[in-house]
Amino acid sequence: MDCDDCLEKLYQFLDQELGPSERTEMARHLEGCADCGDTVVFQERFLKVIRDCGTSDLAPAELRQRVAERLRRDVPPTTA
Amino acid sequence: MAQDPFESEALTYIDALYRTALRMTRSEADAEDLVQETYIRALRFREQFTPGTNLKAWLFRILTNTFINAYRKRARQPQTAELDDVDEFSLYRRMAQDGSAAGSSDPEREFLDGIVSSEVKDALEALPEKFRTTVLLDVEGFSYKEIADLLAIPIGTVMSRLHRGRKFLQQRLYDLARERGIAAVRASGQQPD
Repeated sequence: MDCDDCLEKLYQFLDQELGPSERTEMARHLEGCADCGDTVVFQERFLKVIRDCGTSDLAPAELRQRVAERLRRDVPPTTA
Repeated sequence: MAQDPFESEALTYIDALYRTALRMTRSEADAEDLVQETYIRALRFREQFTPGTNLKAWLFRILTNTFINAYRKRARQPQTAELDDVDEFSLYRRMAQDGSAAGSSDPEREFLDGIVSSEVKDALEALPEKFRTTVLLDVEGFSYKEIADLLAIPIGTVMSRLHRGRKFLQQRLYDLARERGIAAVRASGQQPD
């Protein structure tokens, strides 16, 4: 695997979407290539920031309450 | 009376459904309506759900379909610039160069540590619609295959939308970081370069 292949598969690698043999190839390339290694570390940390910040909002308590009640009643609503 | 497992499990996804709806509609009121409508439809069509399969994905499919059918036309559209034609990792190289020029020893860390939650949420909302939903589903932890099934698109399309979406987010957040840097320099009385 060369650097172009590595960058092409970088997101699949970080997203746990590569098969075992490609994963092994990628890991082997990263062991010997500091540039690709730095890029992988940066992208991994960037995606973590996006996930952490992107999943921090919670549903308003009043909405949760309304939905919970509807789920308990389990009847189709009447539309206004 | 014991609670129905469908009902108790369905409620555990309300936070994920709400924040996805919020990023799609860019309106708290519309997001609440969209989530409520999603649960109403889920209850109405619950016999179509196979117990033991992926309830979270099923609810998200209802959410995205309801959004497309009822909300998309009136959702406020972001002002978005087209992505330039550079690869998604060029920003990282540019950042290293900019950082060295500015005398920073670890520009990547400074960039990542400086990102604040509200900027990420704004950037997610500003994503062009053709890849916003794919990115939002990824943020909520769905696999490529699950996203492909949910949106009825090929896995290759999921991957290209994620590439483009992530590139957009990096570019947007980096531009904000640079603006912050320039503002900080101005505040300290120095001339930005």
